[in-house]
Amino acid sequence: MKRRTFLKITGIGALSVAAGCNTRPDKALFSLVEAPDDMVTGKASWYASTCRECPAGCGILAKNREGRVIKVEGHPYHPINKGALCMRGQASVQAVYHPDRIKTPMLKEKDSFKAISFDQAQLILRVKTAAAANKGSNKVHMMTELVGENLLAIFSDTMNIWKSHPPVVFEPFAYESLKMANHKVFGLEGLVSYRMDQADLLVSFGADFLETWLSPVEYARKFKAMHAVGNGTKGAFVHVSPFQTMTGANADLWLSCKPGQESTVAFGLIHEVLASDGQKAIPENLKRELAQATLEFTPEKVIEIAGVSLENYRKLVQRILDAKHPLILATAAGSSGPASHAADIAANYLNVLLDPDLSLMDFNRRHRVEMASSRKDVHDFFNGLKNRQGDVLLLNNVNPVYALPPEIGAREVLNSENHFVITFSNFMDDTTACADLVFPTSHALESWDEYSGVTGIVSALQPAMGSLTPTWDIGDVFLMAADSVERTAENYKDYLFQQMISKEILKNDLDWLHMIQRGGIFDTLKSDETYKYSAREISAEAIKSAAVILKQQLDEPENLLIAVPSVRFFDGRSANRPWLCEAPDPLTQVAWQTPVMIHPDTLAQYNLTQRDPVRLETRSGVITALAYETENVRPGVLIMSIGQGHEGFGRYADNIGLNPLKLIPGTIDAHTGGPVFSGSVSISKNGKPQKIANTDGSRFQYDRKIALTISLSELAHKSHKDPAHGEKAGLTMWDFPMTLPLPEGYDKKRDFYPPHDHEDYRWAMVVDLDRCIGCGACAVACYAENNVGIVGLKGILEQREMSWLMIQRYLDLQQPEKVIFLPMLCQHCDNAPCESVCPVYAPHHSKEGLNNQIYNRCIGTRFCSQNCPYKVRRFNWFTWKWPNPLNLQLNPDVTVRSKGVMEKCSFCIQRIKVAHGNAKDEKREIRDGEIMPACLQTCPTGVFTFGNLMDKNSKVRQMVDDPRAYQILGYLNTKPAVIYLKKVLQEI
Amino acid sequence: MAELTYSQIDNTVIETLQPPPRKYWIVVGLLGIGILIGASCWIYQIFTGIGVGGQNHPVAWGTYLINFVFWVGIAHSGTLISAILHLFRAGWRNPIARAAETMTVFAVLIAGLFPFIHLGRVWMVYYMLPFPNQRTLWPNFMSPLMFDVVAISTYLTVSSLFWYTGMLPDLAAVRDRSMGMRKKIFTIISLGWTGHHEQWRHYTRGYLFFAALATPLVISVHSVVSWDFALGVIPGWHTTIFAPYFVAGAIHSGLAMVLTLMIPLRMIFNYEKIITIDVLENVAKTIIFTGLIVGFAYATEFFIAWYSHNIVEIESFRWRATGTYSLPFMIMVVCNTIVPLLFFIKRIRRTIPWLFGISILVNIGMWYERFVIIIGSVAHDFIPHAWGTYSPSGIEFGIMLGAFCLFFFLFLLFVKHLPSVSMTEMKESIAKERQSHDH
Repeated sequence: MKRRTFLKITGIGALSVAAGCNTRPDKALFSLVEAPDDMVTGKASWYASTCRECPAGCGILAKNREGRVIKVEGHPYHPINKGALCMRGQASVQAVYHPDRIKTPMLKEKDSFKAISFDQAQLILRVKTAAAANKGSNKVHMMTELVGENLLAIFSDTMNIWKSHPPVVFEPFAYESLKMANHKVFGLEGLVSYRMDQADLLVSFGADFLETWLSPVEYARKFKAMHAVGNGTKGAFVHVSPFQTMTGANADLWLSCKPGQESTVAFGLIHEVLASDGQKAIPENLKRELAQATLEFTPEKVIEIAGVSLENYRKLVQRILDAKHPLILATAAGSSGPASHAADIAANYLNVLLDPDLSLMDFNRRHRVEMASSRKDVHDFFNGLKNRQGDVLLLNNVNPVYALPPEIGAREVLNSENHFVITFSNFMDDTTACADLVFPTSHALESWDEYSGVTGIVSALQPAMGSLTPTWDIGDVFLMAADSVERTAENYKDYLFQQMISKEILKNDLDWLHMIQRGGIFDTLKSDETYKYSAREISAEAIKSAAVILKQQLDEPENLLIAVPSVRFFDGRSANRPWLCEAPDPLTQVAWQTPVMIHPDTLAQYNLTQRDPVRLETRSGVITALAYETENVRPGVLIMSIGQGHEGFGRYADNIGLNPLKLIPGTIDAHTGGPVFSGSVSISKNGKPQKIANTDGSRFQYDRKIALTISLSELAHKSHKDPAHGEKAGLTMWDFPMTLPLPEGYDKKRDFYPPHDHEDYRWAMVVDLDRCIGCGACAVACYAENNVGIVGLKGILEQREMSWLMIQRYLDLQQPEKVIFLPMLCQHCDNAPCESVCPVYAPHHSKEGLNNQIYNRCIGTRFCSQNCPYKVRRFNWFTWKWPNPLNLQLNPDVTVRSKGVMEKCSFCIQRIKVAHGNAKDEKREIRDGEIMPACLQTCPTGVFTFGNLMDKNSKVRQMVDDPRAYQILGYLNTKPAVIYLKKVLQEI
Repeated sequence: MAELTYSQIDNTVIETLQPPPRKYWIVVGLLGIGILIGASCWIYQIFTGIGVGGQNHPVAWGTYLINFVFWVGIAHSGTLISAILHLFRAGWRNPIARAAETMTVFAVLIAGLFPFIHLGRVWMVYYMLPFPNQRTLWPNFMSPLMFDVVAISTYLTVSSLFWYTGMLPDLAAVRDRSMGMRKKIFTIISLGWTGHHEQWRHYTRGYLFFAALATPLVISVHSVVSWDFALGVIPGWHTTIFAPYFVAGAIHSGLAMVLTLMIPLRMIFNYEKIITIDVLENVAKTIIFTGLIVGFAYATEFFIAWYSHNIVEIESFRWRATGTYSLPFMIMVVCNTIVPLLFFIKRIRRTIPWLFGISILVNIGMWYERFVIIIGSVAHDFIPHAWGTYSPSGIEFGIMLGAFCLFFFLFLLFVKHLPSVSMTEMKESIAKERQSHDH
């Protein structure tokens, strides 16, 4: 071989080997050939729309980057939520990009589904319904989730064309009891809204208004408007219920009563209020009748029947009598049945007695969920179908197979050969699996619509992105479903426009554009539609019926299982969103699983312990759930969250957790037509203890300086110069002075390293524990904003969750019913223990005081996490997966971390950078409040304040001087930039 | 010892270099398989992520760092025996010095592997080297891990050189007695040693200097290792006694490992006359001493926790003794401080099975000491909400198995291919004894 040949061969050989060894696919970036008008690469477009994750109907702004919605945030000007959003709203984007979302219509052939085109599906819909309509009247049946007025009108019209009844509106939580109570007492069969913010005392008979009840984001805001400390006082909240969930955990007093005996307490309170002096302008006959009905409910009797503590009951009575603006709230969304109906009626009367003007109830702002059909109608829907043949069933985004008790037989009806079932659903859930035709429709973020959560506003929906799949809006499907009438509108969007013109909500195209731009029209209430209420017209008839109900309920089961709606999954419709599964339950701190909450006494009685699998058996079914020992429930009461335990519904919900609704009898309350969510249950041990996926290492804080409280009276006597602010300073946990992360916080005696210089800005956050309700919206918003990985059940069991911001829940050692929630995130210390131990400077202290984590530089020694006293650093144990197309949601402004690197809260540095850019463009400083980290942005109660500590006038700087301010474990001299304000406790 | 002659020493030692029997190769092969298991576990971990181990939040350090500290500790007594006792002219250390020093070199090698295994992104490990670069990025010399890099690499360098230098005259002795290939190899590695008195003069001086250099390293290296913990803020780590405590612990474990290795060695190679029971007894006596120091350190930690009035410290130590890891804690206390007290009984410290058994127990106890410190402290530190537990995964056990196999693999190869007892020093001590007899 010649030398040249040799060189040639080796050269080409080496090159081809080098080139061939590259296993990475091309990573070319393609720009759009034809970009949409409003798209600027790197700049987000925001679309105002309405959240459809629950009937509340919060306004949202959907953030679109390069054609994809990557995040939704609360609409700051929307009257319902005013910028905030709950965790379910945050997770709505995950439905759009869900890897198990159905992409094309599917027709069932024998036992399997075959993909067909949308045109074929539409044809089948038309043919089947037309054929059914030809056979006679009422051959088409429809059940829909709660939809907006216009869509419901189309449904009804179309059903009318098919000579059939209007659709049944199925909402698992339809508030039948409260609706009926309002009807009986106020003559208004609807759900009024409450001006909670103006109250000084709230008494709830179980209403979980911070989680799911009517409009949780709105009520969380209003609750903290009255309950957060201000001017040295704060409103009070008493929770009357056999158990605490997150709402109950926020109460100043939990009056634990026997299940179903909230009504007795309510009757007792009427008795006490009437007995006290100084009553308000109530018609005498009403007073007399009420007194008559509640005559026997003396405190002694109430104590005996309801099993409440006498001391607490007296406190509650006194508080109610002293309150200037008390507001009594009804029972929970999930608990219905005769007892809760009596309580709802009594609560209404209490409100009348305490405030004859009912100034805290807004009868003109009614919640749209009042449109939902009663549970009786839903049961009748299925019962009626059992003996019929050849009908067509249309189900729009409902999951009755999951949400109804098994004995109703929804699955059998849908599975039977007798009917042709069409589901308009995006997921192969429990119900859709029974369908003959699956017809996926556009997600709320992809479609035009209108949904107004309360009366008096119009809230619009618009597509915030192009459709991922060629789906149609459900409105369009129905506009074209029947052809016997001529349509004036070409598509649903035109139809909406025409309807709004005809209703004189809009005048012209420009109004429409304005409405779309603003997300709706928020003052459409006409004065002639307002409801006039007068205490004089109130009859006392209802209290008599309530008294009858009270007398009837006698049997008291030894153990009662109560299924409660969950802040994470509502009625189960959000159960397939990985963020929500990963976010732990606020009170139990359990993720991915559905444990059953049991009192220690009950556990001991059955020789059970925490983590034991408990066999729960009712006459409806059997399931085995892990025992979660807690004193937040009464002995004999077992609490399980509704939402998980689906059969199907995608990889994040299928066979994950348990469905307590399987254990609930299908009883309908005769008085209200509502369901019950509880049932007598027998319990026994069933197997060896298993691991519970809880994210908390301890429920108590062992008197450490972590989540602190102060009593209202202490606060009144506290000067701004307390030991923690400089006086009598020492070096121990409790007398170490507050040390700001600024050069002024430098002390030669205490500090080894010189102070950091900051250029113009030193970012800091103030967290007001008095405002935190523990809802976890911030934590999920953080997942959404920062591409935080999902570790799954296995990962949680291995203690490897990735949350940058977690809501830690601590119970009081002596009184476990006293709960405190603490948002814990990177403290961005000035003297950060993580920074000094990293061998490669991956944690880096920025000029603006941020503790940056340089992912590229990190080699994964994990020393920083070991040395972090707050344990807020998270390690990428693996490369986390975002199955396609879930990865399309990822925020392009934030690096997606790969295995082997450490990560943690960055104070949303990408948002700080945007603010810097804007400020520079406009040649100014960054304004106070301009930067909103994702957690702060979504918080319904205003827990967080973010700003520049160098600026003497900034809000954070001023809040630092609050007498409640302290730094967690400040005695370590870490100089945290997250300053906490103590929670204010009050004795009731 | 007096009955030994120079040629007997040479014969006994060089006898060990005879071609080994089949059994030997079977054992070496088995150990090789163990190494392969460990290596495959590591490769799997590199490709999958460090999550295949059992580490979690809050316990981000697991057996990898336990083993790191354990092996560094093992390394220490080798240098103690070969260098410090050499400087103290403690003649009894001569028969075991070579094997102990070899143990040091191999143990440091294995210890040095573990930080690599531990890293989340081992392919980026060169970021820890202070090389000039475009980005003018330097390692953080404030970090105790950087101290480690310097300390461990220095220690490895010095102890290997010390080991090799000490072996030179012996290598020449082997060369002189061997044939063929072995002769060629030993000719090269004995670096032309002739036994000229000028060579001896340089050699003894050099050896002394190395011993003097290595001596501070015994103290410094394990002090630096202890600062990986003591410079942190974590209760249970953040204490000033850590440096002496760790050094004593290291020597404690190292001496035990010396016994563990020497006892089979002298049985297999008929070294009974060279490594006499007196030598082993001396090691046992030293173990009593180090065990007492370690026990004192344990007590001090608890005392200071109580004395501090710091509730976090108090809870940390209460939990250490009574919490999830109370069993490892008990193993640690019993094996490290109570069991060695048996050596106060003369019969026990002169009985081979007792010596061997107790040495194994001390090794186990010292491994658990690192477990208690490394796992137990962060598992239960400041924020109760973050408390957690840890247990090693199968992959970690695989890598641990691989590491032990690697150590014994190397040691087995060493004893059959290099003189495992220092003939030179043995002859020196005989010479000295004769001199003292003569006078």
